[in-house]
Amino acid sequence: METSESTPETESEAGSTSVGRPLDAAFAAPEGSSWRRIPPALAWYRRLVTTAACLVAGAGGCVLLLLWDRPLWAGVWVGLALVVAALMWFLAGLFQRSWGYTEASAELYLTYGVLVRQLVVVPYGRMQVVDVTTDLLEQALGIATVRMRTAASTADARVVGLPLADAVQLRDRLAARSESFSTGL
Amino acid sequence: MPARPGWGPPLPPPPPRDDIITGVFRAHWMIIPLQIIAVTLVFVALIGPILVMFGFAWLVFMAVAVLFGTFAYALPSWWYGTFGLREDHLLVHTGLVLRSAREIPLSRLQAVDVVQPLLMQVFGMAELRIELAGGDGSAIRLRCLPKNVAERMRAAVLAHAAGLPGRAPQAPEWPFYRLPFPLLLGALTFRVPILVSFILLLMMATAFVVFLEPGVLGAVVPLALGLLRYYWGPLARYTDFYASLSSDGLRLRYGMFQRRMQTVPPGRVQAVRIVEPMLWRALGVARVEATVAGYAGARQGDSADLLPVAPRSTAFTLVNEVFPESEAAVVPLVADRTRSAGAAGVDERLFVSVRGVFCRVTEIVPVERIQTLRLSAGPIARLRGRVTVDVDTPPGPVSARATDREAAEGRRFLDALTEAGRRARVPSAGTERWATRATMHAESTQREHRVEEPEVSPDDTPGK
Repeated sequence: METSESTPETESEAGSTSVGRPLDAAFAAPEGSSWRRIPPALAWYRRLVTTAACLVAGAGGCVLLLLWDRPLWAGVWVGLALVVAALMWFLAGLFQRSWGYTEASAELYLTYGVLVRQLVVVPYGRMQVVDVTTDLLEQALGIATVRMRTAASTADARVVGLPLADAVQLRDRLAARSESFSTGL
Repeated sequence: MPARPGWGPPLPPPPPRDDIITGVFRAHWMIIPLQIIAVTLVFVALIGPILVMFGFAWLVFMAVAVLFGTFAYALPSWWYGTFGLREDHLLVHTGLVLRSAREIPLSRLQAVDVVQPLLMQVFGMAELRIELAGGDGSAIRLRCLPKNVAERMRAAVLAHAAGLPGRAPQAPEWPFYRLPFPLLLGALTFRVPILVSFILLLMMATAFVVFLEPGVLGAVVPLALGLLRYYWGPLARYTDFYASLSSDGLRLRYGMFQRRMQTVPPGRVQAVRIVEPMLWRALGVARVEATVAGYAGARQGDSADLLPVAPRSTAFTLVNEVFPESEAAVVPLVADRTRSAGAAGVDERLFVSVRGVFCRVTEIVPVERIQTLRLSAGPIARLRGRVTVDVDTPPGPVSARATDREAAEGRRFLDALTEAGRRARVPSAGTERWATRATMHAESTQREHRVEEPEVSPDDTPGK
């Protein structure tokens, strides 16, 4: 049990200015490996989806407000939609760069999240189902999502935005390992 | 018929004619009149008031028509609704219009319950429920079986699940804990919400009597309903509670109006939590709830309790029995950074977390049952440099997590859990066919000791 003795000094460390550094260390890849990053196609996917959603919402709201004879509010609404779209455009890049995965000897490590940062560890033996999905836009961009199901429904274990060939290979590797590491429920 | 066979000493061996592991069985014919009566009564109660407006003769005529219609449906569906064992598979045929045949590999079962509602007790019938891991719709319910058939079927099903031949006698059991009724009554009463509700109820009643104000009754009804649900409910359900241990796992028998006998085979408990409400801590008693993969959805609340009320030491003893080769009470705990009572700890076998200022909840997850691990930090937690480690288990009452940790400390938790889980998840740790697997496991551990390399490392270098 190594966590018990070393708590006091980490307290004093975190009290100083270097708050970000220990966090980065906490979300680092496991020892002896580094995160495999996701290609920028994921960012473009997110940008296209969010921009389209913002355009539809903005245009729809604008038309409704104009019909209702509120041109000022219509302008505000369109501006708001554009601001949100720009924000999402910027965040999509951050989101894409925040993604990473690495295959350790007995488990898959995932990290993602801009606002809520997450590190997920999925043991290979716990994967019940591994599947690859791609929707129409993903197909156009040549990317795919690998999704892993475990018996716990709380965790959203997936790798998004992988090139299709990589995704299929990853799926095959994970499926083979989930078989060889299988220990039941 | 002798009073309560099977709840007491084991039955004498059945004559070969009634051999449970061969042949085809169906529910007792009593289910037909019961179904007919139930459907007719519901029909008369719901549609009756409308029909009476056309005349009483109409009601009688329609009721008789419904009666015969139900009979015409219930008789063939009873005849075709059969079940039987084939090797270690259970075959269940149901349905008349939409026939369905299910074949259940018994090595995958999660729990077996024998349930006797009040009416069934009167007729000496029982219902056998076989829980599978597939969630709410996947449980097998064999209704209205004669008591001895249900008992022998349960024993045969468990024997097959353990990997033994179906004729193997029921595993011997030794008593673990009997809940005395005064303790159940006292502990259920001695809780803050219940006491407050009682006092409020008394005040309302006094106000009603003194001022004759009928508006008070509006507040009495929800209070009384709440007490019925949270006081009378557990009181009636857990009367005569008796827990025993056997090589087939934990056996629980309880209930007054609805007798239940639950069997949770070894390794089926995914996680456990020990709940100590504020006043119970003064009494030194606790409640033990468990996550079992089979008890999904609505049955979760019915079946999650392993011990409704027990002394704290007994509760921990049970946890040690459920998770063998481990000791939950000695896992070193590390307090978190808040002023609350939160703490968490890991050792070779268990993850333990404690939380709650008033109602203390101790959550225990064995490392080999951990599904996924998550380290997360929200925006505010990031500013403060704190992280949370979530330990995911199948859906159930337990959600173990170590909250409010320093970043480095949280990561050490995660790494320790990953490392311990990797060591614990050896292929021999599976839970199917536990009786024959025990020998396999002993052999494999011997082998490991000889080679002195217990690390799991099949050829798995990640393809870069």
